[in-house]
Amino acid sequence: MAVQIPLRKLIDRAALWSRINSPWLVHFNSGSCNGCDIEILATLTPRYDVERFGIKLWGSPRHADVLVCTGPVTRQARDRLIRVYEQMPAPKFVIVVGSCGTTGGVFQGCYNVLGGINEVIPVDVFVPGCPPRPESIIDGVVQLLTKLKNSAAPPKGPARNQEKSA
Amino acid sequence: MSTFLIIVTYLIFPGGLFVVAGGLVYEYADRKLVARFQNRVGPRWFQPLADFVKLLVKEEIVPAGVNAGLFVWLPVAALAAALAAALYVPMAGLRPSWSFNGDLIATVYLLMMMTLCIGVAGANTSDRFSLVGAVRALTQLFAYEAPFLLALLGPAILAGSWRISEINGYAQGHLWMIVTQPLGFLVALVGLMGKLELPPFDAPEAETEIVSGALTEYSGRGLAFFRLGRDIELFIGLTLISAFYLGGLANPLQFLVKTLVLLLVTAGLQSLFARLRIDQTVGLWWRIGALLALVQLLILVILKTSGVPL
Amino acid sequence: MSLVTSMESISELAKSWDTHAVSPAENRYDIVVTRGNLLTIVAELLRTRWGFLTAITARDVSTASGSAPGKEGEIPADRHFEIYYHFCRGPAVLTLRLSLPHEKPSVPSICGILPSASIQERELAETFGIEVEGLPKAGRLFLSDDWPAGLYPLRKDTTPQSIRDFTAVAPPPPATVENDATPGKFTVPIGPQHPALKEPAHFELNVDGEIVTGVSLRLGYVHRGIEKAAEGRPWVQNLYLMERVCGICSHIHSMAYALGVETVAGIAAPPRAQAIRVLIAEMERIHSHLLWLGVAAHEAGFDTLFMYTWRDRETIMDLLEQVTGNRVNYSVNLLGGVKYDVDPSRADAIRRGLDRLEPRINHYLGIVTTDESFLRRTRGIGVFSTDQADFLGVVGPTLRASNVHRDVRVDAPYSAYRDFPVTPVYDDACDLAARVTVRVKELQESCRLVRAVLDALPPGDRAVDFPRRVPEGEAIIRVEAPRGELFYYVRSAGGISPDRVKIRTPSLANWAYVMSVAVGHKLADIPMIVVGIDPCFSCNDRTFLIRQGDRKGILGWDDLRRYAMQRYGRRAE
Repeated sequence: MAVQIPLRKLIDRAALWSRINSPWLVHFNSGSCNGCDIEILATLTPRYDVERFGIKLWGSPRHADVLVCTGPVTRQARDRLIRVYEQMPAPKFVIVVGSCGTTGGVFQGCYNVLGGINEVIPVDVFVPGCPPRPESIIDGVVQLLTKLKNSAAPPKGPARNQEKSA
Repeated sequence: MSTFLIIVTYLIFPGGLFVVAGGLVYEYADRKLVARFQNRVGPRWFQPLADFVKLLVKEEIVPAGVNAGLFVWLPVAALAAALAAALYVPMAGLRPSWSFNGDLIATVYLLMMMTLCIGVAGANTSDRFSLVGAVRALTQLFAYEAPFLLALLGPAILAGSWRISEINGYAQGHLWMIVTQPLGFLVALVGLMGKLELPPFDAPEAETEIVSGALTEYSGRGLAFFRLGRDIELFIGLTLISAFYLGGLANPLQFLVKTLVLLLVTAGLQSLFARLRIDQTVGLWWRIGALLALVQLLILVILKTSGVPL
Repeated sequence: MSLVTSMESISELAKSWDTHAVSPAENRYDIVVTRGNLLTIVAELLRTRWGFLTAITARDVSTASGSAPGKEGEIPADRHFEIYYHFCRGPAVLTLRLSLPHEKPSVPSICGILPSASIQERELAETFGIEVEGLPKAGRLFLSDDWPAGLYPLRKDTTPQSIRDFTAVAPPPPATVENDATPGKFTVPIGPQHPALKEPAHFELNVDGEIVTGVSLRLGYVHRGIEKAAEGRPWVQNLYLMERVCGICSHIHSMAYALGVETVAGIAAPPRAQAIRVLIAEMERIHSHLLWLGVAAHEAGFDTLFMYTWRDRETIMDLLEQVTGNRVNYSVNLLGGVKYDVDPSRADAIRRGLDRLEPRINHYLGIVTTDESFLRRTRGIGVFSTDQADFLGVVGPTLRASNVHRDVRVDAPYSAYRDFPVTPVYDDACDLAARVTVRVKELQESCRLVRAVLDALPPGDRAVDFPRRVPEGEAIIRVEAPRGELFYYVRSAGGISPDRVKIRTPSLANWAYVMSVAVGHKLADIPMIVVGIDPCFSCNDRTFLIRQGDRKGILGWDDLRRYAMQRYGRRAE
């Protein structure tokens, strides 16, 4: 038993280290005007190059750790947003980019818009701006990682996903 | 060989740990080089390790409607095959751990297991992207495998052996085969890229069409194993080609220099071209790749029978 | 085609149809049509190739109540619907005006004559509840699946309250998982979350092996409701709303809207403002086309080109930021002028930026026209004949790559384009490679234009005063957005907010191209074909937003005004 506890600790530390150093993103636009989306794409390109921090943008939610959402949630996109979130393996995190995703922005109160992303799924970090600059988006990811590093609590999210087959 | 040595051979060097570490380092080098070619900074040196560990500790989702046994064990099989292949090639320029007459064929077979496993894994899930990806992966397998084998056949014929270690030894004592068989070298190198589904031969996992191809549904451990298996294949493939075509591998320094130069070339090729459609890939291999390899072999056979020293 | 000949031909045609044409503006003709002769007239216009159908606008008209909705449950006696079919030819715009009763409105569908009209007709049916007879029955295109049937967002009597009542009665159905169990068909879904699409739309591709045998399209994932929102917001606020129709071509949207409102009000922005608008529009085109080139390269799996174009795009982003303070959504326009001036030092900065950018653009032109691996993915793909493109009313670079000579900047110069003439770019190859070439050449042309504007920036004021109320009237504005012709219909009822704003975005017009060429191509070509029109789903879908002044914590216009008066009043003391 005495040997197992340090081992457990070691594994936990390695897991945390790897999580902080390898955040893979998947991007979902639930009704954004595109402004945020092009700025997210811009973070991949030479001037900002987020691969420096181990950040990679993937197409499949199954590969990703962080869901990057843009735009207010429209009625039609709501179910898809939930499905994409549920398809991600735990532990998973959500970053909202842009004012619309934060509160609904200029589209607040609209009949086809249900409001910000946090009306539908739990959100870890909000990056405000219309649209936020690529630097702020990177900063948002850094904030998430800092939060992760400092939190003693185990990462949230269900231990085992309810399978939603695509 | 004592039991202890055998365990070391399997688990630490040249199998096991060494190959895993080598695969991760070469993945890093590959990503860094491509990033530099694309005018980016690229990843940090420990990036592949962090990715691997993170995937290991992540939840593995087994989608509904798949054969769970196959889903879980295919990545293991793929990784195991890649690790086994490492035992027959002159890792780090040293003598292979095991050697028997015909181990070249065995190694090529073991390297092929990876693609087969990916194909079956894709077909196992009911996801549409995976299915299309699986079909493409297997199509590509049939396209590049024959020319790739033909390209490795050239050095074997010259050396008059099916043993990788003997071909390696022969290559060290003769003119580099990249000079005598440039066509074979080209086909082998590009064949390796096709095998590893590197751009521009990444149609089986074309992100903009079918997300991640056969691996779309994989998360956590399965994905980690497939990725690691592919890294190891890159490592082994580069070793094999430099042993055959770049004058053999006599010591660790030669090994490092030659494989890294090859990696530089493949990274360059990766960033130079637009992705080929799957029909274009197949066309390229059968119309050009296989033809080139055959022409090379023909020339070789004619020269060898007429007694020209090579 | 000059304006005069176009206008003459309209009056001749009108005579032959036994109607008469009135000309509300120099370049416009209105013809009143009936349900009976609509089809004949449309068929005649298209048969003689008089012009192409730009947009179909519908209005919920009740003169008694103006822009405000009528009292609860009371329908004004004169309430009816009006549908306008806008046809364009060169600078001339012909509007067929059709009036429909309020009870059970229905029109015959023109999609039998012009298949590409069906998207706009479906919009009509979904948002106004106007029955379009003969339109193939299909699922919803814009509104969400759980939107209550029988509620039409763009009708004037649709208010936040009525939507709440409706939704309370019909709660949203549970989430459904699409099931494509059609036997014998293998369907590949693309979207709404898919790496090829940075924005959501949903395609279903039926494939046979790698060959595509059928395509269906579902929009509406970004449907927010801007047209309705505009009716509830003051003229000035709408400028900022219109900018957010699309984040990539934000300036051109607010510019079109500003031009429209200025036309209705009869107030023209000063020449310097017009020139600055053109300057920013062309800089935006550079940013948009470079962005597109990168995305197209990425779709083709050519990531190196993607990285390089986006690296160089940062140059123009920096310049836009220097001039306007923003990388995206510049908010340059005001009603009656522009917000930012371009002083000589900024002009020099822009020139220096272009000095760096232009050699790069020339280099990319070389790549896209000579790189064999890229050409293998573009040459001969998505061929769309000149005749088809012209007939279906496709717009922008997609159209010009099919060698149709149509560019609003040339045909009907707006703003300062009269002073800074554009040399349009055409290509007769009609395929994807041509679309790429046309866009890269347009980059060169835009750089030249930016320099021309900087060299001859007229002196004078940036803006003129603009009233809060805009007199009654309507305006049709066509501008050339990076993606093609953008159409705005702006109508004022004399109030503080618009009575109707109709937006027809270029992407909407270009779907006809995707839908008609996709079948028969390889699966791998589809993302390339889709990206060939540079689709902008947020433009397409827009939204209808209803201002809810009563929502807790949100200030309505009146609250805001009261608040502002209090605040500044206090400060003045």
